[in-house]
Amino acid sequence: MASLTPTVGGSRARRAAVPFSQSPASGTLAGVLTSIAAGICLLLVVLMLLFLLWYTWPAIRYNGLSILSDITWNIGNQYGTGSSIHNGVAAEPGAEFGGLVFLVGTLLSALLAMVFAVPLALGVALTIVYRLPERLRLPTNALIELMAGIPSVVYGLWGTIVLVPWVGNHVAPFVTHHFGFIPFLGGDAGSGNGLFAAAIVLAIMVMPIMVATVRDVLLAQPKSIYEASMALGSTSWQAVTHAVLPSVRTGIVGAILVAFGRALGETMAVLMVAGNAINILPQNIFSPINTIAAVVVSQLESAVSDASGVAQRSLAELALVLFVISLAVNTIARVAIRGQDRSH
Amino acid sequence: MIPTMSPVDMREERAEKLIVQNVDVFYGQFHAMKKASLGVAEHCVMALIGPSGCGKSTFLRALNRMHDLTPGARVEGEVLLDGENIYAPEVDPVSIRHRIGMVFQRPNPFPKTVFENVVYGPRIHGEKRREYLLEVAERSLRSAALWDEVKDRLDRPALQLSGGQQQRLCIARCLAVDPEVILMDEPASALDPIATSKIEDLIEDLKREYTVVIVTHSMQQAARISDHTTFFLSGELIESGTTSDIFTKPKDKRTEDYITGRYG
Repeated sequence: MASLTPTVGGSRARRAAVPFSQSPASGTLAGVLTSIAAGICLLLVVLMLLFLLWYTWPAIRYNGLSILSDITWNIGNQYGTGSSIHNGVAAEPGAEFGGLVFLVGTLLSALLAMVFAVPLALGVALTIVYRLPERLRLPTNALIELMAGIPSVVYGLWGTIVLVPWVGNHVAPFVTHHFGFIPFLGGDAGSGNGLFAAAIVLAIMVMPIMVATVRDVLLAQPKSIYEASMALGSTSWQAVTHAVLPSVRTGIVGAILVAFGRALGETMAVLMVAGNAINILPQNIFSPINTIAAVVVSQLESAVSDASGVAQRSLAELALVLFVISLAVNTIARVAIRGQDRSH
Repeated sequence: MIPTMSPVDMREERAEKLIVQNVDVFYGQFHAMKKASLGVAEHCVMALIGPSGCGKSTFLRALNRMHDLTPGARVEGEVLLDGENIYAPEVDPVSIRHRIGMVFQRPNPFPKTVFENVVYGPRIHGEKRREYLLEVAERSLRSAALWDEVKDRLDRPALQLSGGQQQRLCIARCLAVDPEVILMDEPASALDPIATSKIEDLIEDLKREYTVVIVTHSMQQAARISDHTTFFLSGELIESGTTSDIFTKPKDKRTEDYITGRYG
C-alpha cells in the first residue's frame, strides 16, 4: 500500500497553490517549472491510458462485452490445432476471457471493507479531533502514518496465518449456522479464505488513509460548529451526530471514496487471503473470490505461455477496467472533498 | 432581594441571577483569570469591557462551562446560578448550558436551513411535533427581530443570510432553548453599523425576559446597552458597578485610564 503522502499532501498543496498562482511569481521560472511538473503528471496518466488501450486493442476486439459479463476464464488449449477467432483476432482454441468473477470480487471485497472500515475510521478521526489531549495527538498521527507504511505482504501474511484460520474455524461456522437465514450469510462456511477475510484485511489497510482524510476534513471545519451545538445544551455525541458530521457530509463521502479507490486496487494481501476463485461467482460472504488486481498477478505466468498473446492482452484489459474504475472513483472523491473546502 | 416588589422599583436591588466567587481560569500553566468575583442582577444587561487579551471572554466562557471543551483549560472557584454552584461535581454541564445560552463573536449558524437552525435545540432535546417546532421557530425569530425578514425563506440555507441576519438567527437559536441567562461574546464585532444597531436594540428587548452578560470591545456599546459594567485588565477583574458610575466616576485609576482612552 502506498504511503499517505499523495492524497493528504495533495489536498494541502492545492490549498497552498491558490495564493501562489495569484502571486507575481506565477509568470517566472518557478511558475513555469511547476506548470511543467504538473503537466508531466497529467501526461503520464494519459499516456498510460493510451498505452493500455493500444496494447489491449486485440483483446478488446476478441472479447467484446464478455470481458465484463462472462464468468469463464480459460486461456484455451495450447496443444490443440486451429484457433478460435472473434472479430478477426485469433486465440488458442476454446479461449474465453470472462472477467465478471474478478469484477464482482473486486467491487464486493472493497464494498464490504468499507462497511467495516467506515464506522471505525469515523470514530478514530472524531476521537483524535475532539477528544485527544494535545500531547497524544502527535504520536497518534505518527502511528497512523506508520500503519500506512507497513508493506502489503505483511498484512497478507497476518491474514493467512491468523485471520483466515480464525474465520474458517470460528466466524464462518458460527455465522452460517446462526444467521444463515439472512441472504448471503448462509450456505458453505468455506475454509476461511474468501470475501470476508479479504474485506477485513482491506479494511485494516485503508484505515490510515480514511482516518487521515476524515481528520483533515474535520480540522478544516470551524470548531464553532461543535461549540455552537454544545452551547445549546447538546451532549458531545449529539453535537457530533447532529451538527458536526452533517456539515462535513461531502468531505466524508470523499474520504470514503479515496479509501474505496485504494481498496479496489490492493493486490498482494488480497491475493493471499481471497481464495483465488476462478469461474465461479461468490455464493455468500465467506465464498472464495478473486479480484482484478489479484488475478492479473496469479494468472500472468500461464498467460505469458499463450503464443497468440490474447491471454496477456486480456489480463491487461482487466487492468484497464480497474484503472478506469479507480480513476472515476478518485475523481468523484476529489470533487467531493473540494466541494467541502469551498463551502466554508 | 424581596421578590414581591415590582421590578421597575427594584432597579438596584434586584436578585442576583449569577454570583461568581473567586474564579480562576488556567490554560495549562497560563493563569488567564485571577480570583474574579462578581454578581449579575436578574433582568439586567452586564457589559464586560477591557482591552484585548484582558480575559473578558475567558471570564464569560467560565459562566456556562465552555472551558470544559478546551483540552488543558481548568476553572477553579464557584459560579452560582440561582444559588446553585454550576461547578459542583454532581452538576451536569449539559443542563447548565441549557439554562445559560451563548452567542458567539462570529455568527456560526449550522449549514442547515433557517428553520432547522432555530429548532436545533428543541430537536436534540427530543421535540418532534412539527406544529410545536413551527411555533417555537416563529416565537424565537420574532424575539430575535428576524421573523419578518425570513418568514418566507425558512427552508433556505442559513448561510445565504447576511452576516447580521445570521447573528440574529444565532440569537433566535439560543432563545429557542428557553435559557434564563444569555452570554454574548462580542456579538456585533463582525457586523456593519446598521446590523450592530439592530443587535443592540434587540439586547434592550431581551433583558425583559432574560439576564444578559455581554463582552464588548466598544465602550460606546457598553454605555448604550448595559445597566452594569465590569472592567477587566490583564486577567484581573478591576472594577464593577452601574454603567453610569463606571463611565462617570470610576473608583480605580486603571478604569479611568481605560475609559478615557489611555489603553489600546
